[in-house]
Amino acid sequence: MDKALLGSILKTVEKPSRYTGGELNMRVKELTAPDGKKLFRFALCFPDVYEIGMSHLGSRIVYNVLNEREDTYCERAFAPWFDMENAMRENDIPSYSLETLTPLGEFDIIGFSLLYEMCYTNILTLLDLAGIPLFSRDRGEEYPLIIAGGPCVCNPEPVADIMDALVFGDGEEVMNEFMDVYSACRAEKLTKRETLLRLAQIKGVYIPAFYSPEYDENGNFKELVKTEASAPDRIERRIVKDLDKAVYTGKLIVPYMSIVHDRVALEIFRGCTRGCRFCQAGFIYRPVREREMGTVIKQADDSLDCTGYDEISLFSLSSGDYSHIHELVPLILDRYEKDRVSVSLPSLRIDSFLKDDLEKIQKVRKTGLTFAPEAGTQRLRDVINKGVSEEDLLRSVHDAFVAGWHGVKLYFMIGLPTETDEDVLGIAELARKVSREFYSMPKELRGKGLRCTVSASTFVPKPFTPFQWEPQISTEEVLRRQALLRNALKGIRGVEFSCHYSETSRLEAAFARGDRRLNPVLVSAFKAGAKLDSWDEHFNKLAWEHAFVENGLTVEQFANRRIGIDEPLAWNRMDALVSPDYLVKEHEKAYEAVTTRDCRKGCNGCFGARCREICGKKDGAV
Amino acid sequence: MRLAVKFKKGVPVRFVSHLDVQRLFHRAFRRAKLPLAYSQGFNPHPLVSFAAALSVGMTSDGEYLDVILTEGMTPEEFRSRLDPVLPEGVEIVSVMDLGESKKSLTSAMRTASYTANVLFDADVSQEAVSSAITGLLSGEIVVMKKTKGGIKPTDIRPMVIELDLVSLAERNAVFKLKGVLSAEGGLNPDMLLAELYKKLGVSGASEVNRDEIEMDIDSLLA
Repeated sequence: MDKALLGSILKTVEKPSRYTGGELNMRVKELTAPDGKKLFRFALCFPDVYEIGMSHLGSRIVYNVLNEREDTYCERAFAPWFDMENAMRENDIPSYSLETLTPLGEFDIIGFSLLYEMCYTNILTLLDLAGIPLFSRDRGEEYPLIIAGGPCVCNPEPVADIMDALVFGDGEEVMNEFMDVYSACRAEKLTKRETLLRLAQIKGVYIPAFYSPEYDENGNFKELVKTEASAPDRIERRIVKDLDKAVYTGKLIVPYMSIVHDRVALEIFRGCTRGCRFCQAGFIYRPVREREMGTVIKQADDSLDCTGYDEISLFSLSSGDYSHIHELVPLILDRYEKDRVSVSLPSLRIDSFLKDDLEKIQKVRKTGLTFAPEAGTQRLRDVINKGVSEEDLLRSVHDAFVAGWHGVKLYFMIGLPTETDEDVLGIAELARKVSREFYSMPKELRGKGLRCTVSASTFVPKPFTPFQWEPQISTEEVLRRQALLRNALKGIRGVEFSCHYSETSRLEAAFARGDRRLNPVLVSAFKAGAKLDSWDEHFNKLAWEHAFVENGLTVEQFANRRIGIDEPLAWNRMDALVSPDYLVKEHEKAYEAVTTRDCRKGCNGCFGARCREICGKKDGAV
Repeated sequence: MRLAVKFKKGVPVRFVSHLDVQRLFHRAFRRAKLPLAYSQGFNPHPLVSFAAALSVGMTSDGEYLDVILTEGMTPEEFRSRLDPVLPEGVEIVSVMDLGESKKSLTSAMRTASYTANVLFDADVSQEAVSSAITGLLSGEIVVMKKTKGGIKPTDIRPMVIELDLVSLAERNAVFKLKGVLSAEGGLNPDMLLAELYKKLGVSGASEVNRDEIEMDIDSLLA
């Protein structure tokens, strides 16, 4: 890497410290071990810009897991912003790692974190900038092994032609098994294909090249035919049973620039017991596994010491559900009060009773409060199994207002299965009641002015949820319902509306449930200029339209089609552990608006026959 | 108590913005568990101020900040606690006790000197560079400068104290610059160099180091 050239380029781009590395606690290793062996070089790539990627806890964990190994040096790379990509192309600078400024093409393994579908073109940007062919079939022995992990591996088919291997589920253990097998293959000087055959034997590893897709006469997905006898029939999601024993983030890297989640993130538990039917995370991180308070405190101490951060986030899918939350919050607040450390609790559910905790948090610093009723009427909230009531919401916002908050965000979704105009208008009704709750309080008890943001995203059906068969509503219908809501929200005091651009939601739906035919679509879109697609203001609509046309497909056939309950699903080779029968049953209950209890209150049998093996809990126990 | 800290900003952190340098020190002070004094009010912040901002991309051998502590400690102790927790590229040069002084470091700044390593995109002779410097310094140097009221033509000549060619080998030149630096503003070395490139009819890429900020320490301690 020509450092002088890079230096002169960095003078011309926005936020240059995205591209320099060298942060505090960045891992520095000798490339050759004391015994003379070369370390395996692993580039952990987050296919979005630095400030997003560095905010991802899972990547921080994998970085530490890999670097704890003596035989591996894991470095980081992120997608360049537009200005940097242009400068890199003009000056023939390949995509490179931040730790040693090494071109990605020189790594042994490149691993991508797949967090959301709309980052897929950024994978191609990073590969292309490194001069690495995009399709796995075009990459010979001289190229790095390209792999991926993260929640999108639930349905890996839309990137199956790009990836040599994918890893399904929690990374803490499987990444070590992966590197052990990889190391053995290298010692035996095996070919890439021989290596992949070995890797396929690891539970949770999927090698797309060993399965070939077939389609029916209507152009719908039919099946993935196994082309390699030794490849597994289904790829089981990996779970780490004991988070207290699992490797965590180690010494956290402290970015220079401000990143999206610029604080110590402490994962208090993984998984969620609520079972909201639209929520993929709620199904694919099961079962719930909590960290003990002692572990959390220890990690808090260590992380604060080595970073100097003044904020901790108690992180999970639903932090109020943590068994010891009412002990943990005051404990942490007291422990660090003199050090002026504030605590935030993301993903609070409305029905978790946290009034006292909120008051304590308030003492240190005000952080934003977000509530997610998701739907505007009780009927629809029952359909999606979001077991919260209007009273829950109003009580929670009341508590928050009393505690001194005057800014709240309310999250909703538009286009949920069975939604009617009445449900959409119900959102405005709820917002009106929140506004009334605030302004009916005596002035001396509340803040000055209410700032209530109503945010409505578009429902995206996701694999391994009870709504995986559901269509997304059409773009026209999304826009109509958004307009309906915007109109109904007009004139409500202190309430503002923000909603997501629907074209990216539609693509997200297509890529969430799509099959292998989307690989060439992805590459066409990339070649036509699509990149950084999740940045709405830069979304390249024409590139995507062109890409679908060029490949004789439509976005609608993936996003807006209702899949029959008995039809084969493109992600059938993946086994997310939750039983298919359970999803069918939940789908039926949704249409009857029948709720399913929180499984902390009793087992609902979501793992079917494998319940004991996977969850290991007795009925009713937590 | 109030301490003044002189520090280096090296190559590894030259692209860290001024705001991020402030946060970098805030976090380093916390890692060092120094008894920081905080402001009163709704969002308390540590009482740390920087003498001058440094342009993104520049290195420096002498930047200044001051910090207020709630407990007394010797400059040596302060330094010994801070040194081990600083990121690569940030280095403490010296720490000074400012006593009871309330005056800001910014008010004591007078001038700053710089070294610029320049790579020209074409061959130039020593004579050409020398005469370009003489020509440039002989009259007004009007540049388009961003001000609060928009982009305006401004004469930066009064800001320039020195501009010398130190060496020239092939297309690599080294310049020494000295300019005014005070609370009201200062010379931007790249802006001056750009005018020189224009006079020479070439383009240049520069790497600039701030060698020293001249401070009127007596005015601080008076």
